[in-house]
Amino acid sequence: MATENHGTVESTEAPGHESGGLPQLQFQHWGGQIVWLLLIFAVLYVVLSKGLLPRVSGAIDERGAKIAGDIADARRLKDEAEVQARAAAAEVAEARAKAQKTAADAKAKASAQAAERQAKEEAVLAEKLAAAEASIQTARDEAMSHVRTVAEETAGAIVEKLTGKAASAAELKAALA
Amino acid sequence: MADPMHQFQIQKIVEVPPVKVPGLGYIDLSITNSVFAMLLAATLVIVFYAIAARKAVVPGRLQTVGEMLYGLVDGLAESIIGHEGKKFLPFVFTLFAFVLFMNIQGMFLVFTSTSQLAVTLTLGLLVILTVVGVGFAKNGIKFFKLFAPSGVPGWILPLVVLIEIVSFLVRPLTLALRLFGNMVGGHVVLKIFAGFVVALGGLGVLGWAGAALALTSVVALTALEFMVAFLQAFVFAVLTCVYLNDVVHLDSH
Repeated sequence: MATENHGTVESTEAPGHESGGLPQLQFQHWGGQIVWLLLIFAVLYVVLSKGLLPRVSGAIDERGAKIAGDIADARRLKDEAEVQARAAAAEVAEARAKAQKTAADAKAKASAQAAERQAKEEAVLAEKLAAAEASIQTARDEAMSHVRTVAEETAGAIVEKLTGKAASAAELKAALA
Repeated sequence: MADPMHQFQIQKIVEVPPVKVPGLGYIDLSITNSVFAMLLAATLVIVFYAIAARKAVVPGRLQTVGEMLYGLVDGLAESIIGHEGKKFLPFVFTLFAFVLFMNIQGMFLVFTSTSQLAVTLTLGLLVILTVVGVGFAKNGIKFFKLFAPSGVPGWILPLVVLIEIVSFLVRPLTLALRLFGNMVGGHVVLKIFAGFVVALGGLGVLGWAGAALALTSVVALTALEFMVAFLQAFVFAVLTCVYLNDVVHLDSH
């Protein structure tokens, strides 16, 4: 504001303002300013109201609509993703249950087979044991029967030696019974 | 010291022969510095909004400022006039933008059109005539109810009507003088303090302290004037909305 616009026309200006008072009250300049102002204002109003302001409000509304739309889209996608995540979790749980069942079945089957095989094996062993015991029994019985004969013979030899006379078989049998 | 009022002197830039208007006499339509400033301000508003109204979804700086100003006036009209404010938005916005640009322009260039009483008074009359026009268009003859508020006891009514009429007639004057006074006062004070800087600076070392103080004041006042430039345009828009609201919602007056 320090510099002044010293127009070239100033010298032709009416020297009225030099005597003091507001330059704004020089009424000879009012008419032109008022007419120009009304003209300029009218043009500005028309340009703004018909051309530019609708575009500004349009841009603002469009942005608002786009943001609202984007948020709605995002929300929808999030909901969808949640549904899918829930479905996936359910699937995983199902698969896990299935796998556990399969594992349990396999285990049961394996243990059943193992038990069967063990039982068979035990049966074979028991059979062999029984056969062995039977053969031992036979051998012992036989051995025991031999013991009597040996005892009779020994007793006959001892009697003959002591008495000099052989004892009869009947007498030996009676003595050993 | 330079005459602080000299900055308001109207000077012709382009001479145009006077036009004879029937009933009014000759009107000098020369392009003066005031007219030039108005033309420039209007052009800048249009250029600014031609750039600002680019409709980009992600706005640039100019578009952000343009939309902010638009949103400001939009919010103003909406909050004061209500739903019908949208209809008057272009008018209020044109006033606001025009006055704002003229005020701000005065901070950068040498002439402020809004420091001319002819300009502010015309704007004030424009507002009040629009208010009267809208009032009659909306309410017909009931417009005069504006001057007779409901719920006033009968014996005091003549006095109230008188006061209301005077206050209504004074509105364009207060609108005009408020803007005019703020602009003139600010620029005169700036000019005087700036003059002090030169005058005191010429006095030698002792004067320099005073000159520095005056310079500091000028800087601070310049900042203040920027605020005033915006605030006065805003106040003009607010009062326009208030006056329009009076006649739009006459029933609840």
